[in-house]
Amino acid sequence: MSPPPESAWYPVARSDDAAFRHVHQAKLLGRELAVWRADDGFVNVWENRCLHRGVRLSVGMNEGMELKCLYHGWRYANRTGGCTYIPAHPADSPARTICNATFPALERYGLVWTCLDGDIDFAPVDLLEGGGSFPLRALPFAAPPELVRRHLPAGDDHAGEDGTPRWFVQPVDADACVVYGVLTDTPAPDRRIAVLRRHARRLEDLRAEVEEIAATLPRPAPLVAAMEQADVPVDIGGPARTVGGTDQRVVVARKWETAAEVVAFELAPIDEPLPTVQPGAHIDVRLPNGSTRQYSLTNPAGDQARYVIAVKREPDSRGGSIHLHDEVHEGDELVISAPRNNFGLRRDAVETTLIAGGIGITPLLSMAETLAADGLPFVLHCFVRSADHLCFSERLDGLGDAVVRHIGLDPAGTAAQIRRALGAHRVARHVYICGPGPMLDAARRVAGEIGWPDEAVHFEYFANPNEIDRSNGFEISLARSGLTLEVPAGQSILEVLRANGVGLISSCEQGACGTCIVDVIDGDPIHHDVFLNATERAAGDRIVTCVSRSASGRLVLDL
Amino acid sequence: MITLYDYDLSVNCYKQRLLMSLLDVDYESVPVDFFPGWEHKSEAFRKINPLGHIPVLVDGDYVLRDAHAILVYLAAKYDPSGRWYPTDDPELLGEVAQWMLFAEGTTNTASAARLHDNLGYEFDVDTLRAGAHRLFRVLDEHLWFREQEAGPDGPAWVAAAPHPTVADLAIFPDVMLSEEGGISRLDYPALRRWTDRVRRLDRFVLMPGIHPVSAERPGPGPMAAGRS
Repeated sequence: MSPPPESAWYPVARSDDAAFRHVHQAKLLGRELAVWRADDGFVNVWENRCLHRGVRLSVGMNEGMELKCLYHGWRYANRTGGCTYIPAHPADSPARTICNATFPALERYGLVWTCLDGDIDFAPVDLLEGGGSFPLRALPFAAPPELVRRHLPAGDDHAGEDGTPRWFVQPVDADACVVYGVLTDTPAPDRRIAVLRRHARRLEDLRAEVEEIAATLPRPAPLVAAMEQADVPVDIGGPARTVGGTDQRVVVARKWETAAEVVAFELAPIDEPLPTVQPGAHIDVRLPNGSTRQYSLTNPAGDQARYVIAVKREPDSRGGSIHLHDEVHEGDELVISAPRNNFGLRRDAVETTLIAGGIGITPLLSMAETLAADGLPFVLHCFVRSADHLCFSERLDGLGDAVVRHIGLDPAGTAAQIRRALGAHRVARHVYICGPGPMLDAARRVAGEIGWPDEAVHFEYFANPNEIDRSNGFEISLARSGLTLEVPAGQSILEVLRANGVGLISSCEQGACGTCIVDVIDGDPIHHDVFLNATERAAGDRIVTCVSRSASGRLVLDL
Repeated sequence: MITLYDYDLSVNCYKQRLLMSLLDVDYESVPVDFFPGWEHKSEAFRKINPLGHIPVLVDGDYVLRDAHAILVYLAAKYDPSGRWYPTDDPELLGEVAQWMLFAEGTTNTASAARLHDNLGYEFDVDTLRAGAHRLFRVLDEHLWFREQEAGPDGPAWVAAAPHPTVADLAIFPDVMLSEEGGISRLDYPALRRWTDRVRRLDRFVLMPGIHPVSAERPGPGPMAAGRS
């Protein structure tokens, strides 16, 4: 007897088995599954195996929007199964390729259904469509699925005043299955338990009968689920260039003014679900006018049904914000890149301080909501010109007294408040700063003055205010590919690499985001970026290739 | 001061540690070298418990052996709420006693299979595992209907009360560590949800092999320091 096909929809749980903050363990056709409902209601059906060390995810922790493996605390995002945090590499953003195997899930008739293989539509059960559905107690049978199916009551055998159950079988393994019964009518509240008990009793009698038959049959060989080799790179917190990721189309589901001169966009997927979000990440938005702009995602970890970005109107800018404000409307389509994260959030800090200037709130809001969901201590300081300039004020209200609003301060007042907010540095305290250049410079200067070490001060600039001197020429040698190339005056390393067929992912191309960073093996870089801090600059072992250059005649890169 | 003759890896000792933590009762743990020393079988220990097993509880001059008896004593004596061992509710008390006897069954099957697998006890492990599955089936159905009766707002415990009793604690570690004895809980979803509820009790403590679950609600976000 051949096993039931993988390319079909089967129930794997009752809807209430995916209980709040619980991870349900199931098995389908020899494959173990972890079934969990996130706080946004989404039901996840995943391979029951952490791809790090293979531990069952069903013994892990449902943290609301992320599932945390019990063994080494790797966190995986609701919906996509992508890794959002690796405690052993707290400062790194996990590569996008670290993603658990997920299966499609849908809820019908009070049951959770999945399909292991193939792109097949769920076939609705006519009898249960339109009317009510009342799921009975699911019963595991220690008997082959086909044998059980043959013995299930046909027609009206189990009928009664409360209706006729419709039966579904979850083939667990060659010698095990779970039977789900669904009634077409929901009984009156005072009859509920009696109806459930009556049907449970009948199904148990049937089980006793079928298990007795099964015990006389030769035991079938267990089904062996094909497992794919987990794709965990050796360099798990590797730089962004090691991951691909393609553009995808999204639709503007909502556009609204979230603060004076700031418009927020809610971007919904069209074809494919949106990729995994890590707090601090940004996307490239390809505008209909042909230009590309970077915007931080405000979504906290695991909350990624739709992306939310905010765009400040910058009349003096290159025109991207004006275009988004004036030309892009609800219902319009945009093309975006997969998220990249060069502003990763550590979740091992004793205290985290977030300092936002104006529109700089966007990545910090995603961090704040992630920390709040994790129950980790933080304070979010928002500096704005006026109360009207506070973005996402409802979400800020939701964070309660973890948010401190500083309104209408001049530069000196801002610096004084930042000094107060930071206080003396203590071990395992971290600060994240995002805002306009002058404010960010001031915050970094203050932190340095009061003794905060570089590794505890994390920042992200919107733009690079530096004048880039491109007047010198030098040679680059690519250690891994064996190429030696000439970088002439007026051209960037990135441009020369691209012209010679060396693909490197970039984003802002002005030395702010850090996407195109490369390791330096030998040589003496001149840093023109605003991504590296002073310690990293002095180390001279990394270079932002879109703007920085070489003081030595030759630069050896790890490419 | 209460003294518990104790062994870290023993489910029966853990039941006492758990209840004393839940009741916020101070005690002193005296480690017994159960494995590999077999200290509980020594002549010296047999003066404390002639049966040669742990746990043994000493409270002043009072000496008590047998895990489930000790649970009864501790709850009756140290739980001012009267919930853990509800002596003033005969029907509920009868039910608690019934499930305490059921727990003898889970200990003698599921936890015995664990002794076979972990410490090499020479038991007929297939019979023990089959016995544990029979009991788990009964308990899973019982807890499933308890959940249905309690509804979404009322947590369901082993005995028909809106709060846990010593019966929950007597069964809990046998269930929670069953996989160490080769007994899967795949077929028992209501049993697994109940283990989440036990692990979310205030002052719950762990033992090796028993892991935490996530909080039902996120903890406090704002940090105490640094607010202005």
